[in-house]
Amino acid sequence: MPEPQIIPPISPRTPRLGAREAIACIFVAVIVLLVCEGPSIRRSGERMDPGPLRTVVLAVGHPAGWVADRLPFADLAHNLTAWLSPDDDLASAAGGFQAVASRSAPAVPPVTVDAFAPGALGSPAAAPKRALRHLLVTGDSMSMPLDAVLARRLEDGKAVQVTREPHIGTGISKTGLVDWGKLSVRQVGALHPDAVVVFIGANEGFPIAGAGGRELKCCTAGWAAAYAYRARLMMNTYRREGAARVYWLTLPLPRDGDRAKIARTVNAAIQVAAQPYLAQVRVLDMAALFTPGGRYSDSIAVDGRQRLVRNADGIHLNEAGSELAADVVMRSLAGDFEDVR
Amino acid sequence: MRGGVEPQAKRRMIFPTVEFAIFFPIVLALSWALMPYPPVWKPFILVASYIFYGAAGWRFCILLAVVTLGNQAAARLLGRTEAPRARKAILGGALVLDLGVLVVFKYYGFFATQINAALDSLGLGFSAPLVALAIPLGVSFFTFQAISYVVDVYRRTIEPGRLVDVALYLSFFSHIVAGPIVRAREFLPQLATPRSPRNVPVGAAVGLIALGLIKKVVIADLLARSLVDPVFAVPQAYAAPDVALACYGYAAQIFCDFSGYTDIAIGTALLMGFVFPQNFHRPYGALGFQEFWRRWHMTLSRFLRDFLYIPLGGSRGGRLFTARNLMLTMLLGGLWHGAAWTFVLWGALHGAALVAERQFRGWARLPGWLRWVITFHVVVLAWILFRSPDLTIAGNILAQLVTPGPATLWTAPVVLAVVAVVGLQLVPERWIEAFRLRVEALNPVALGFGLAAVIMIVGATVPSEGVPPFIYFQF
Repeated sequence: MPEPQIIPPISPRTPRLGAREAIACIFVAVIVLLVCEGPSIRRSGERMDPGPLRTVVLAVGHPAGWVADRLPFADLAHNLTAWLSPDDDLASAAGGFQAVASRSAPAVPPVTVDAFAPGALGSPAAAPKRALRHLLVTGDSMSMPLDAVLARRLEDGKAVQVTREPHIGTGISKTGLVDWGKLSVRQVGALHPDAVVVFIGANEGFPIAGAGGRELKCCTAGWAAAYAYRARLMMNTYRREGAARVYWLTLPLPRDGDRAKIARTVNAAIQVAAQPYLAQVRVLDMAALFTPGGRYSDSIAVDGRQRLVRNADGIHLNEAGSELAADVVMRSLAGDFEDVR
Repeated sequence: MRGGVEPQAKRRMIFPTVEFAIFFPIVLALSWALMPYPPVWKPFILVASYIFYGAAGWRFCILLAVVTLGNQAAARLLGRTEAPRARKAILGGALVLDLGVLVVFKYYGFFATQINAALDSLGLGFSAPLVALAIPLGVSFFTFQAISYVVDVYRRTIEPGRLVDVALYLSFFSHIVAGPIVRAREFLPQLATPRSPRNVPVGAAVGLIALGLIKKVVIADLLARSLVDPVFAVPQAYAAPDVALACYGYAAQIFCDFSGYTDIAIGTALLMGFVFPQNFHRPYGALGFQEFWRRWHMTLSRFLRDFLYIPLGGSRGGRLFTARNLMLTMLLGGLWHGAAWTFVLWGALHGAALVAERQFRGWARLPGWLRWVITFHVVVLAWILFRSPDLTIAGNILAQLVTPGPATLWTAPVVLAVVAVVGLQLVPERWIEAFRLRVEALNPVALGFGLAAVIMIVGATVPSEGVPPFIYFQF
């Protein structure tokens, strides 16, 4: 075994200062950042899940943002560094859920509490098969590694282009980071996919603004209706007026009880959301596959053998679980497209 | 997920986050204010470290406390036991605790799956229960540090420390998550007396933090996003030029990711008055495999040498005996990185390369450039195993490496990043040293402005989903 020579991390010629200078240096950096990045700190806090860390970040972010809003440095810093940003602004703003909703309001009536009847699923309408050329797999972290599994299966010797577009940490009820109303329109406009696989819901449960700006809290029927309406807007965008097929995966129930409650509500909302578009939108039931009887388990029996299908976080599917989910998606794709097995 | 963006349900207080940027200045200022009063300072830093660690999950704090108390009890017992058999039994108990934690949390799922598959192939109905246990953050690092402490006490290299010191050694926030693996004999003496407030290498520390941020957020994450993750997810979609670039790209990514983390860890510790050992020293400039392991993850190499290779007999026997020890050490070193056959094979490949280098007497007579080419490319080849989620993907990558086709991912920033990361490890060290010393000599205000500017530039390159976790967090 080689004998590593442990080298000190600093040169003997490195200048030494005092602890006061160390603190001064860090506090100069902190002050510059507060003045120039105050709004970013506030935004970071607002995007975080509720908890003590969020409280701390907001306790700093709100006053820092207030100060920065009154000084020109934040805008200056933003203008100087904006070109380095790797992605477009997809946060809630013009073109988001609100705008899509207002444009399509006559075509997509609002979902109400009355829409949630038990067992209200219709059966998919038959459609002539055609070739699958372009598949978009999108969603939050739930769509990983399902997206890679599907891409490996479909791109292996077939003329199918698979675009994988996961947006980690995002949610339909959480528009601060990514507004899926805005994003779905952009995705369809840029890619024109023949089919879209959507697997999203690990970060839901955030309050949604209802009619008249009233805040709807999870997991009331009102929240479910608002969520279903947003999901329906996305389905309508992805189905491209009937030109594309949408495969929307429901959530396998998570281990954590609070999260499971949110997942049940999301799944109910997805079923309701799809109702007007059953000719194009397929709701694929992952809850029944991975959590039969509504009971969470890390492993399930597959061909008589017990297999680990969940990640340690008790939320996501692991590679083996994603393979099983991909089987379901592939079967559904094969029902709609030629040459998919 | 390996190397890619980890699906995260919970946010952690990792280095490049707003949470840490708030936490660190407060802890730094209070730490120096309380430093002259060790009875107050030590509990303060201990609590701060547990808050840092607990942000990833408070249950992990309980495990850390159990490991601390167990090892400290063993060390105390060793300190007052003379009988060799009793001492061995105490050491054995501590090792069972430390390795047991590792095996249960890190390897249970892997071994249960392998055992079930074996029993299934024999037609036996029994199967071990399959559960997905959450791997506690930094478990591989703090258990190794605990082992180093108790073994050093057993070997009488050090005396048992006080409980608060040992707890601080194992939980210190700068190194708990991903090292460097600091030995107790290096850290505990630094707790014996308050750190000198007149001997802080501020310039070096700030320089390391800024460099670490650039390496991680700008270079490693760019390479992951634009090149490595897409290719390793679906190798079939890419031809030889892209796959080859992705292999070199991963070599650059993992270096920047891990050494970037280490730079920030060492820099924050320096600002608080503590010195950690260096963990990387231009590894891609190595002209051989021994040299590579003297430059890559140096504190792990040292641990494996002192606690595995030498106890196995080291090179004190014949050629075959040494080769066996090298292979065993590297196989277990590979398995330490993760519960998967890909890691075991990665270790095996490095073990075989180390054995071959020792056996081939003409190696030293080869021209330097040829030794570099061979060493670097074997290391890059081994990274394919390390990065691939399974052996099928690794096989696909190798197959695509000889599949002609277009280069679709060769963008200027990506190619430049790969060339710069490897190239800067080949230029004479004195050039970089001269530049570093110039930066380190700046006054504290200039350094503060510089650090803020780097953070703003680095922050602007972060995509909307945030900074992916460091690769070594999963180990």
